[in-house]
Amino acid sequence: MRSTIARLLIKRIFSSLIILFLIITFLFFLVRISPGDPVQKFVNPTLSPKLAEQVRESLNLDKPIHMQYIGFLTSAISGDLGVSYNFRRDVSSVILEYLPFTLLFTSVSFIFQMIVSFWLSIKSVKKINGLFDRALSNITLLIYATPVFVTGVFLVFIFSELLNIFPSSGLSSYDSADFSFWARLTDYIYHLILPIITLSLIEIAIFYKYLRDNLEDVYNKLFVLNLRASGVSEKDILLKHVIPNAINPLITIAGIELGIMLGGTLIVEVVFGLPGMGRLIIEAIFTRDYPLVIGCSLVVSFLIIFSNFLADIIKAFLDKRLLTGSLN
Amino acid sequence: MKNRFKIWQFLLLIWIITLLIRFELLINTYDLIFSWLILLISDLDTALSQISFDLLDSMIAGILFIVIPLLSIIYRKKLGFLYGKVFPAAIFLILLITCFLFAPLISNKNPDFYKNIGITKLLPPLSSVQVLHFKNDQNFQPSESFEKFLFLKDKVVKKSFDESIQYLDSISTGGKIIYYQNGIGKEANRESLLLRVKDPFITKQMFILGSDQFGRDVLTRLIYGARISLMVGFGSVIISLIIGLTFGFLAGYGGGLPDAVFSRFTDMLLSFPIIFLVVLILALFGNSLLSVIVVLGFSSWMSLFKVVKTEVLSIKEKNYFVSSKLLGLSKKQLLFNEVLPVIIVPIIVNVIFQFGNVIIAESALSYLGLGLGNNYPSWGSMIQSGQEYLSLAWWMIFSPGITLIFTLLSANSFGISLSRKLNPRLQND
Repeated sequence: MRSTIARLLIKRIFSSLIILFLIITFLFFLVRISPGDPVQKFVNPTLSPKLAEQVRESLNLDKPIHMQYIGFLTSAISGDLGVSYNFRRDVSSVILEYLPFTLLFTSVSFIFQMIVSFWLSIKSVKKINGLFDRALSNITLLIYATPVFVTGVFLVFIFSELLNIFPSSGLSSYDSADFSFWARLTDYIYHLILPIITLSLIEIAIFYKYLRDNLEDVYNKLFVLNLRASGVSEKDILLKHVIPNAINPLITIAGIELGIMLGGTLIVEVVFGLPGMGRLIIEAIFTRDYPLVIGCSLVVSFLIIFSNFLADIIKAFLDKRLLTGSLN
Repeated sequence: MKNRFKIWQFLLLIWIITLLIRFELLINTYDLIFSWLILLISDLDTALSQISFDLLDSMIAGILFIVIPLLSIIYRKKLGFLYGKVFPAAIFLILLITCFLFAPLISNKNPDFYKNIGITKLLPPLSSVQVLHFKNDQNFQPSESFEKFLFLKDKVVKKSFDESIQYLDSISTGGKIIYYQNGIGKEANRESLLLRVKDPFITKQMFILGSDQFGRDVLTRLIYGARISLMVGFGSVIISLIIGLTFGFLAGYGGGLPDAVFSRFTDMLLSFPIIFLVVLILALFGNSLLSVIVVLGFSSWMSLFKVVKTEVLSIKEKNYFVSSKLLGLSKKQLLFNEVLPVIIVPIIVNVIFQFGNVIIAESALSYLGLGLGNNYPSWGSMIQSGQEYLSLAWWMIFSPGITLIFTLLSANSFGISLSRKLNPRLQND
């Protein structure tokens, strides 16, 4: 048993690595064949062409494309993703500066989404087709149809412009450097409430729909009737029997959505002007910072693959029958 | 009462309303088409050199305005949906498609029209502005056919500027006519004005949904923005349909190596946030209407691929498929005669949801400034520019935002009701 698990894990990791390799290869050539020259940003046309050649050489752009690719791969294997053209620093150090925010932001909103959608679906499944249930299913349909940036802009208008409760953009107040630690922490939280709600609303709608339908399905099964007839309390039925049976499909969805969110905070970061991976990538793309584009894409793809993988593993440990199926 | 309202009655209502409101414009349009045809016969080169997008747009809208009702009357037996009942999603979608086809007829302004920004900028909804009309050569009687064509073109095709009007705050008509714009008085020559008996001819123009920071009418831009959204939606969905269907069929039918190759490729695209890929390609290779459509089409076929592949895998084992394969049907025949009729329902439903996703993606791209640029109004870019004026002009974000939400809601609910209607298993429940 243990050896089959190990074999399946290795197989899975290997295929993930192949996908990562394909992605960076694809992006490498896509970026290199695109029109536009990153050297021009640094070199004034009035300066000598020799200087341009020097810059080109310093950016490793003077070699033929396949040589560049081989050089890139060999250094990437040793963990060196090159030097960012804009930041003039190692790509990995730039990414490490921006990644913690995205990870924190995504995981906090993920936990928030899970709690809210669980609470809502349990509440609405208590009285199926009741007022709460029907109202919520219509609201989730509405939220599902609303693009994230529209939600964001509307929320900013309502809460920042009209009610003036939350700040409309940025991560901290302009004078936050003078604050004490706790004041700075509350300042951060204060600034992050609207972005987290914006990012979470659509995911809550998705999770809610899946969870509610699953819970309803399980509640209609005969074993629940049997438990009720045996006099098990409703709370025990819900906690010990219904939720464990309903949670499995949710974990797959959660893994996929977590991956999408890790990359998809882009729009929220742009709406609220937050310093995260999404904005870093956009900036890198617009300024033709080739190493940074590829490095960021690699990290984001890795996070997505990893979260799917994690979801599969959690699911397999909850339900041993799935072990061979889901890892394969 | 409400339940008896049929879709064809609703369409007729829209048609009659448009006819009544834009009667003069329609007559001019048909006159224009007629004079262009005469020009085409007499002087081919001049006629072709006069063609521009706006001219063609107006002429096609004018032709379709007659042709579509006629065709739907002739083929009414085949168009079963015309006899269906009206429901909210259908109303909204019909309105959108009407905007898509007849934008030059419905709106009375060019979407980029602006004049006297100081007065017209950031006007709230339902506010109206006084307009002073100057004389132009309206009474000019063209003699030649080419002159007549130019004269009509001037009337029909809306321009982004108009020299014959002035927006104004107030006007004093004593001995001299002085009109005030932002506190500055200007004297107007009585001879140069259009006069009604003795007084200058002043009308009021209403901005129903307000105006933006350049004094452009938000409603007109919304109507024209519907074109972009729908065009990108239809275009990319068709591309993704073709790719998803072909790849899915090849992977499901071929099995083995093709299956592995296509599935890995799909996995690769799915494990990378598509929005980054789209942004990357558009930013690196330039953004135009065509590139947006193509890129969105190429990046949204994955779910369709999975649907088609699984369906083909199950069909492949069926007896009828095996026997028709043994009869010697080609791959193309197998796809179109044996597979498509069976999987058409999940495909249609998938395509409708895809349509909504593509519209979201397009508006998000426009919001990021990667849509079609500033050449053409789009809902996403309207919201983007509205965000800068959030504290001054809420209508600049709410009108496009709510339109966008309604569009996606109606696409979704249309997809859901269609899948219920087409799926026999769900119907029996």
